[in-house]
Order: sequence, then C-alpha cells, then structure tokens
Amino acid sequence: MNDVQPVIAVRDVTKVYRLGTVDVPALRGVSFTIAPGEYVAIMGPSGSGKSTLMNLLGCLDRPTTGAYLLDGVDVSRLGDDELAHIRLRKLGFVFQGFNLLARTSALRNVALPLFYAGLGNRERSARAAAQLTAVGLADRMGHAPSELSGGQQQRVAIARALVNDPAVLLADEPTGNLDSQTSEEIMGLFEDLNRTGRTIIMVTHDEDVASHAKRIIRVRDGRIVGDEPTGQK
Amino acid sequence: MKLDAYWREAMSVLLANRARTILTALGLVIGVTAVIAIRVLGAGMSGAVGGLLGALSERSFFVVANVQQADFTRAALRLNDLQRLQAAVPNVVAVIPLGGARERAEYGHLTPRLAIGPEPDERYATSTPLRFGRKIDADDVVQARHVAVLSDAAASKLGITSDPTGTSLRVGEHRYLIVGVLGKSAQGIIPVNVDYQVAIPYTVYDREYVRGHAILAADVLVADVGQIAKTQGAVLDWLHTLKGSRVRYQTFDRQTFDKAIDGIFNVVTLVVAFIGAISLVVAGIGILNIMLVSVAERTREIGLRKAIGATRGQIMLQFFIEALALSMFGCLIGLVFGVAIGALVDDLAIVKLSGVVAPIPWLSSITIAVGFATIVTLAFGTYPAWRAANLDPIEALRYE
Repeated sequence: MNDVQPVIAVRDVTKVYRLGTVDVPALRGVSFTIAPGEYVAIMGPSGSGKSTLMNLLGCLDRPTTGAYLLDGVDVSRLGDDELAHIRLRKLGFVFQGFNLLARTSALRNVALPLFYAGLGNRERSARAAAQLTAVGLADRMGHAPSELSGGQQQRVAIARALVNDPAVLLADEPTGNLDSQTSEEIMGLFEDLNRTGRTIIMVTHDEDVASHAKRIIRVRDGRIVGDEPTGQK
Repeated sequence: MKLDAYWREAMSVLLANRARTILTALGLVIGVTAVIAIRVLGAGMSGAVGGLLGALSERSFFVVANVQQADFTRAALRLNDLQRLQAAVPNVVAVIPLGGARERAEYGHLTPRLAIGPEPDERYATSTPLRFGRKIDADDVVQARHVAVLSDAAASKLGITSDPTGTSLRVGEHRYLIVGVLGKSAQGIIPVNVDYQVAIPYTVYDREYVRGHAILAADVLVADVGQIAKTQGAVLDWLHTLKGSRVRYQTFDRQTFDKAIDGIFNVVTLVVAFIGAISLVVAGIGILNIMLVSVAERTREIGLRKAIGATRGQIMLQFFIEALALSMFGCLIGLVFGVAIGALVDDLAIVKLSGVVAPIPWLSSITIAVGFATIVTLAFGTYPAWRAANLDPIEALRYE
C-alpha cells in the first residue's frame, strides 16, 4: 500500500468555527489516507463533523491547522481562485439535492464545468453527450431537470461530476432524496464507476448505503472513531 | 477566457428565464424609447419653427427705427432717403418700405377688402410656391408695371378657382393685371403669414402708397448674402450720418431670428432630454434591483457554479455580461419603439401641421440613448455581479 501515492492524505487536520466570540471545534485532529481506486463511505451522526470534513476534502473550505494533500499537492493553504481551479480539475461533486440548473437541458447541465474549463462549444457538447451516454441517459439529453425523474436527475448530476475526469468523486448523501429502489440504481452506478478505477468518497448516515462502499470511516465529535473495510469486493 | 462563450452562456440563461428577462428589460425599453422619441420630437419642433420663417427671404434684412428713443419721429425716413441709401451703400440691391394698406378690391361682382403690399422681384420674394402663373419679375419692378400676385387667401375671397392670369382686378383706385396666384404658404406651428394678399411691385407701391409718408421700417435686399452682417453695419452707419448719431435704428436678419429660435429650442430639448435621462437612471435602478433579486434567487446556482470550479472572476464576468446582454436587449427594443414613435409623431404632428420636413438627428439620438443606457446598466450591474461572485459556496449551496 505504501508504494502507491495516496490520492488523498489528511494529516492532523482541525477545523474551528468562530461563532461570535465562541470557538466551536468541528474537527479535532483527523488523519487518514485514501489510495487511488478506493470507494470510501464517511459516516457519522449529525454534528459529528462529517460535513465539515466533506467541505475540506472538496476544497470548498480550508483547515484551521494540519495538511491536506490532494493528488500530491498541499491544498490546505491555497487561495480562493487556486481552490476553484483544483475543484475544476481534480474533483467532481454529487449533492443530495442534485443542484441542476432549472430550465436547462441535461446536456448543458453536464457541460457546465467544461465551460469554466474554457472548452469550445462543440467539444463541450461532445464530451457531455459521451458522459450522459455512459450513465445511461443517451435518450434524455435535451430534457430539462423538471422532465426527469429523481434517479435520472442524479444521473445527470453524476455525469456532470465526471465530465472533467476528476481524480476523486465526492458524493454528499447522494441517495438522500431518492426512494430505496432508485437508491439501489445509483449505488449500482457508483460500484460500476469504482470498478473502472474511479476513486469515490461518499458521506452518508445510512448504513445500507454505506455498506456498498469498500471502506467506512466513522466520525464522531470531530474525531475518527472507526476506519475499516466492509468486505465488499 | 473567451468572451463569446460567456455571451452565449448569458444568452442561454436569459432565454431559459424569459419572464424574468422581459420584466428586467422593460425599464430600459421605456427609458430608451423616451429619450429617442423626445430628442426626435425636439428636433422636429425646432426645425418646424425654424421653417416657419422659411417664407422670409434670407437675402434681406429689416432696418427699423428704434422705438426706445427720445424723439421717435425724427427717425422717420422718406422714400428718397431709401433711394439714396440704396445708391450709397454697397451690396444693397433695393430698399423696400415695410407696410401695407387695406383696400376695397373689385373682381367680378365680389368686392372684399384686401391687404395690398410691396413685393420685390422673384429672386428676393417669398418662397411660397405658386399655384398659377408667375411671380413678380425684375422687369415688373424696373418698369413699375401694375401687376399683382394674389395670395391663396385673397384668391379664395375673390372666388378664384381656375387660372385667373390675364384678367385684372381693381384695388383702391388702380387696376392691376393678375400675373400669378400663390399656393398655401409654409406655416410653422405658430401661424404667421408673411405674404400680402395682393402683392404688387414695390416700385408701384412706392409711387401709389408711400410717396410723402413717413417710413419707420424697411426691408433691405442684398446682392451677396455672405456680406449681410457687414452691410447691416454700413446701413446703420449711413443712417447715423444722415440723421445724426442720436437717432437710433436697429437691424434684424433671418439668421438673428433663427439663432434666437434655435436658442430657445436648444434649452427645451436639453430639459426634455434631461427628463429622459432621469427615466434611464430609474431603469438602471430597476436593473440593479432585479439583478440583486436574481442573485438571491440564484444563490444555490451560484454556489453550484463555484463548487464545480468557477472562480470569483468568472462568476463576476458572467453576471456582468448577463446585465450587459439585458441592457442590449432592452436598448434594441427601446430603439425600435423610440424610432417608430418619433417618426410617427414627427410625420403626423409636426410635418403635417407645419409643412416643414426638418432634419432629424437619428444617429446622435440613438447614440445618446443607447450609450447612456449602457453606462447605467454597467454602473448598476456591477454591484450584483460583485455580490454574486463573493458568495461563499458552502453557504450558497445550503441556501433554501
């Protein structure tokens, strides 16, 4: 395991929020590494610090102390624009609420990150179409989110997260708004992606969902209280 | 960063949210429409009033005894004074005493009272177009022929409907051969008629009406219009030499009138354009408002855009270009409405009423309206763009 460079290395990371004059610690010193191709679930009750951890891993926020190496680069002290650049190139986000642009076709939604990457219109469309086909929505490219089912919307969101070929796919309660059958579909898609070598990190509070991952990191009161494989192949 | 890609992205956002787009642009549409229409109307009105003097020759000026002097009667001139003036001052072609008389006319069985007055030959005469015949010519003046040109009003009072040239009418004690009839005179918004009902050669008028009478105002015809200002000075100098320097006269020419009228209308146009500008500022504040609402409404969208890697600069640029696109959309529609309304009112009201087609400064009107609207939009579009760009992505994504 040591001969492979980890895609994520978190060392002694703390995060303290200032609420008025009171310091509220959300993370009290967290360390772990994730190798390329892993499929990790981060679990914990609300207030455990798992959302804070997810925001740090997603480069949406910076740790108060400690280091975070993403793909070998310490991103814990980067400026806003550099972080935006990292998010654009290295990370893909999937949210609980899908966060698709309303009244905008699936194709354009998926192509959005490529717009900020500065790609031309034709190449954006081509790559977005290929990614939508890969998630099984080849026949829904022109549909607006309101014309798609919840499961289809989340597939569009996943296609959008993957269109930049990120090093890590981050999913925040990806099945939180879906019924159990659709959840299984999405989990199946995640497993397929992981099987092709995609690194996936998923935050959830649902044991059933977490059991699809190969490894579960449990967080409580800002500390890691468990880190073990699930036995999934 | 490719601006055309941002432009396309902005257009797709605006098109996807048509209702919001149209409501936002409405203020600009009204503002731009108002500014263009107002400027066009101002120019049309100013031109129409300027054109009101169109019937007044540019090749002459008035010399008038100043009424604000101690002994007004000393300023009175005689016909031979005018003849000497004409001979003495270079560039003066003729000096025609201003005045006219009302006389009983007789034509067929009709005997209306008509205003008879002096007229120079056609080179200097009124610009009112002819309906029948010809104007008074140089020969008529030199030979002092008893010929007359009737105005449109006189013709109708005399019951003339077909060409009367060759017939004659009696006015007062003399008989005149009718050589021409004028059409409707070009009148401005203020109806001023500069044409006599019965115009006769001024040499005839001098002989029959002026001789022996005091003259207090005269029309001085000049050969070279370019020298008209110099000639006015020379005429005043000559009169002072004749009457003594304490007797005062003043002169008026077409340009003086035009300048005065232009001055008035420039002020009117300026004031009205200012009102238009205020409406554009209000429109700008409307855009500011709706863009701020838009930022609030689209907080999650902005959060998402930042999460997937948009930088602050990119978000700012995007919102800014959206504001710009909105402004161009509003301007374009406002431009169409403004030009349409301006042209329609200019045609229906001003041209029809005054008979004057004034040059309309379309290009400058459009430039001013669109330029100002763009400045307003950019000024008021910047703050919402800045607000959007500085949203914290975590907070924004959580926003409900």
